[in-house]
Amino acid sequence: MSQPLDGPCTEHRWSGEGTSRTPFWAYTDDNLYRRELERFFYSGHWNYVGLEAEIPQPGDFKRTTIGERSVILVRAEDNEIHVVENVCAHRGVQFCRERYGNRKDFTCPYHQWNYDLKGNLLGVPFRRGVKQNGRINGGMPADFDPKDHGLNRLAVATRNGVVFASFDHDVEPLEDYLGPDILGYFDRVFDGRKLTILGYNRQRIPGNWKLMQENIKDPYHPGLLHTWFVTFGLWRADNQAELKMDAHFRHAAMISTRGSGGKGAVTAGVSSFKEQMSLHDDRLLDVVQEPWWRGPTAVMLTLFPSVIIQQQVNSVSTRHIQPSGPDSFDFVWTHFGFEEDSAEMTRRRLRQSNLFGPGGFVSADDGEVIEFSQEGFRQKPEHRTIAELGGRSVENTDHMVTETLIRGMYAYWRKVMEQ
Amino acid sequence: MNEDWIAAIAAAEVPEDDVTAVQVAGHDIAFYKTEGQYYATDNICTHGQARLCDGFLYGHEIECPLHQGRFDIRDGRPLCAPASAPIKAYAVKVENGQVLVNLS
Repeated sequence: MSQPLDGPCTEHRWSGEGTSRTPFWAYTDDNLYRRELERFFYSGHWNYVGLEAEIPQPGDFKRTTIGERSVILVRAEDNEIHVVENVCAHRGVQFCRERYGNRKDFTCPYHQWNYDLKGNLLGVPFRRGVKQNGRINGGMPADFDPKDHGLNRLAVATRNGVVFASFDHDVEPLEDYLGPDILGYFDRVFDGRKLTILGYNRQRIPGNWKLMQENIKDPYHPGLLHTWFVTFGLWRADNQAELKMDAHFRHAAMISTRGSGGKGAVTAGVSSFKEQMSLHDDRLLDVVQEPWWRGPTAVMLTLFPSVIIQQQVNSVSTRHIQPSGPDSFDFVWTHFGFEEDSAEMTRRRLRQSNLFGPGGFVSADDGEVIEFSQEGFRQKPEHRTIAELGGRSVENTDHMVTETLIRGMYAYWRKVMEQ
Repeated sequence: MNEDWIAAIAAAEVPEDDVTAVQVAGHDIAFYKTEGQYYATDNICTHGQARLCDGFLYGHEIECPLHQGRFDIRDGRPLCAPASAPIKAYAVKVENGQVLVNLS
């Protein structure tokens, strides 16, 4: 029944121009979601798969996903990085089950088809048949050529230790995909320094994947939802800030510099702001300015469709969005540091990651409200959101009191989805 | 040195241009005959632990039946992926219709 947008059934048509009012069905419709997977995750776009530091040695691999497809990020003997689809060429088995490991080659457990680390099929059991009493029984046809039956290999782009992949080998170069402004903020974090992996946390959030992108394109909520942020001065709506997008409006940077915290006009009306509150152990906020920040204390990069690059004071991480249906996604955080960090700085980054991790003072809130949003959408799919803070148009701004980045993302979304 | 030679199999039981295997002093040993010469190697592939005697001999190359890794039967060296570690090759001689192998 629900042929979305441009099918013969017009039930789900986004009426009118503009993107300040997103229909609820854009978050709940399964057919629409399938089309998003095809258009954003499986073609035309680069998707984050991991950090080179996760697979430092030849043979190291990491299993991850792009959209709903399982893929393997692997470093071959020659140190080259490859991304292959985790589907055996024989009977379609998702053969790789470990999240991480080190291998000389991959073997499917079902019939032991064997692949090298670049995805080439090396050998198949009984290819020449089985000898029995002087006869040879069975075997693959004489014209069976292993070269025709490798794993599906993805296009790979690495930049300063970050790995992206695409099922679409015609995708534009990564640098063009990000655009010069966003690339500049990307290189601010990833400037070629060697990375170290500090740890992971993962959560399953019962909401639509786009809500996570919106959450990090939304500077309206942090000072209102995350009262912890406000109380301890990490984020206030009157922080000096800039919001920037790429030319397509699909990626964004939310750039802010924290003020001194405490009481001010912006927090005066927030009911849970507690002026007298102080931390029993304030090492969590032992923030040390780093030269590479070049000013901003927080830069949140949303790279469409599937990753967020976060710098919140001394805590740096990637957050990987892995959708699983229109109303659920896995959210995988990789907390990292830099090889040049002192032991003290590493400890500081780990402590500050508690702001966002499972001991979270901040990000746990986002998972909750995303679930609540999805519940509202499910209840009345023909209704719509309002994203009109700062107007109805899409433009870069030098303040945070706007939902322009959300409108921007939906401008791009409509362009791609309504083709 | 002499006592290291073990009579392993009748020469007539090693098929021409092919492979067979027997247990020798508790070891699984593959025997080959090609161009009139006899050879012996470990019978178990170093990659997937399959029995090489179920594989196929091409000249001096034994191909594993499981993943088509190949070894040179003269010295045991791996010739192509996925084989990467050598198998052991053993000296053989034929005396009185018996193939003798030296496992030392």
